[in-house]
Amino acid sequence: MMDAGRHPHITLLTYSEVEEVSGYVGHFKVKVRQRPRYVDMELCTGCGACAEACVFKKGVPNEYDAGLSRRRAAYIPLNGQGVPMKAVIDDQACLYLTRGRCTQACLEACPTRAINFEQKEEIVELDVGAIIIATGFEMFDPHRLPAFSYGRSPNIVDGLQFERLSSATGPTQGQILTAEGKRPERVAIIHCVGSRDEHANRYCSRVCCMYALKHAHLVRDKTGAEVFEFYMDIRAFGKDYEEFYERVQEEGVYFVRGRGAEVVVLDDGRIQVKAENTTLGIPVQINVDMVILATAMEPPRDADRVASIFGISRSADGFFQEAHPKLRPFHTNTEGIFLAGSCQSPKDVPDTVAHASAAAAEVLSLLSRGQVVISPTTAVVDEQLCSGCKTCIPLCPYTAISFVSQDTTGVATINEALCKGCGTCVAACPAGAITARHFSDRQILAEIEALLR
Amino acid sequence: MDEEPRIGVYVCECGINIGAIVDVADVVRFAEGLPNVVVARQSRYICSEAGQEMIRQDIRDLHLNRVVVASCSPRMHEVTFQNAVAGAGLNPYYFQMANIREHVSWVVKDPKQATAKAKRLVRAAVARVNWHEPLQARQEDVTPAALIVGGGIAGIQAALNIAEGGYQVYLVERQPSIGGHMAQLDKTFPTLDCST
Repeated sequence: MMDAGRHPHITLLTYSEVEEVSGYVGHFKVKVRQRPRYVDMELCTGCGACAEACVFKKGVPNEYDAGLSRRRAAYIPLNGQGVPMKAVIDDQACLYLTRGRCTQACLEACPTRAINFEQKEEIVELDVGAIIIATGFEMFDPHRLPAFSYGRSPNIVDGLQFERLSSATGPTQGQILTAEGKRPERVAIIHCVGSRDEHANRYCSRVCCMYALKHAHLVRDKTGAEVFEFYMDIRAFGKDYEEFYERVQEEGVYFVRGRGAEVVVLDDGRIQVKAENTTLGIPVQINVDMVILATAMEPPRDADRVASIFGISRSADGFFQEAHPKLRPFHTNTEGIFLAGSCQSPKDVPDTVAHASAAAAEVLSLLSRGQVVISPTTAVVDEQLCSGCKTCIPLCPYTAISFVSQDTTGVATINEALCKGCGTCVAACPAGAITARHFSDRQILAEIEALLR
Repeated sequence: MDEEPRIGVYVCECGINIGAIVDVADVVRFAEGLPNVVVARQSRYICSEAGQEMIRQDIRDLHLNRVVVASCSPRMHEVTFQNAVAGAGLNPYYFQMANIREHVSWVVKDPKQATAKAKRLVRAAVARVNWHEPLQARQEDVTPAALIVGGGIAGIQAALNIAEGGYQVYLVERQPSIGGHMAQLDKTFPTLDCST
């Protein structure tokens, strides 16, 4: 993370989103919308004085702690560890920016006068030869499966919230505590929440078994609590994973084979987990102080928008579609655009690093080749026949057609580098002035005629 | 057509993928009788090196100027065969593919119907390739920079690899900090080392 922030060849565009992409392999033009931070990145030293001074004491849920803590409107991301380590003022939370009423204590507190409420969003235009999409995943929201009672007790947490509870940078400085501040004595971990479930996602999310085992280890190690894992199958397929599973078994974790069926919050605040122990063929009921839901990885909610900006497709599970499941697992069907990490399918850290490195290798080979081959199977306009009616121009999905004025009138002309040879303009041209190379009428009619003979 | 077309047709068995349903020998006999077809042959795996060499040899020995391969989907091997014919000096666009696997043997259960459909597709491909024209691919320079969308571990890893190669990288992240979910994790399995 630090290395990426410091590298002389890497330009970080944070708080930014890609708005528009045009062009083709080797020559993409990209528009990036950069949200205002209301902080001058040059002046800000990341000291955090603005966050201290921010009068919005109640704050908003801190996304970095998965909602387990709150932050103010002015803050340093990642609880002070962000890259870049610069303050940001959340314009959805800031009292001045939302209501226009605030003492603006942050302005006074900043020793370098870096805060600037006049900052506006900016559009940055980039020229690049290749694109890697690494937009990652979102955690499954367990509210969607009411049987797990998520939200009905602060001691029912999802996988990411537990990570924050156990992390030294988290709200409890890494102590695993219940919401009441006590060490839990019994903890249940429920596998496959939002995965392998026809009511949520049918796919196996691949990482949850292993992170649930890790959570069991951390609970045993840090609190000594009894841990019950409710699982259907343990999928420990990676290098040293099975050994890790054995280690956790030896640490005294109870494994109950059977999907957690229901989680009930009892009157005294304790939590009851009901399941079927399919090994013994009996129903089980266990009272615990904390429940960890091993939630699945899902495609981000705006994956559709990303797909349409980059012209890539999604598979049935919602993740981005690779060009070939085995031979081209990090390519898209658009040349020059590649996929990296869990935006393509759920992946753990080793697989993500391998996938991303492979995509980077593909980009490096493209950039170092220095040249791309442009397919000649494009459409061409016969200027003698073109009447200049412009019918074709708005129809082209690749904005490859432009209008060139000539004497009294003008003609359409096709940028062969942008044209993908889809044939839309060929079919639409009222004058029959456009032909598709390699898909001429004569070729297609000969084929059809022979097929039907 | 500047010169008289001299067409070679190659019908692939794809092991038993096509061969167990389609009567490949019958399709070859049928192809031999089509106009302008100089040679038609059968191959167990036409995409193999031996299969491709057979095509190149025929182009040289029999002066073929058009090639049709009846095998799998062009999404699988069109580029393979375009490169093969180009290897023997023929323009790669003097090539046409008939898909008799995904469109025939994998979907048609009755061998008689499958063979009849394969023949039609071969006849159509031969009729089409007569009218093919040579095309030249163009080369264009590449902008020596990359865009990476997403600053989680995948984006960061890819950015570092490309930047280490000496190219400019733009790393776009929606949040005010890079790091993604990875920066939220405590220890990572199976080695339990820290994630940041």
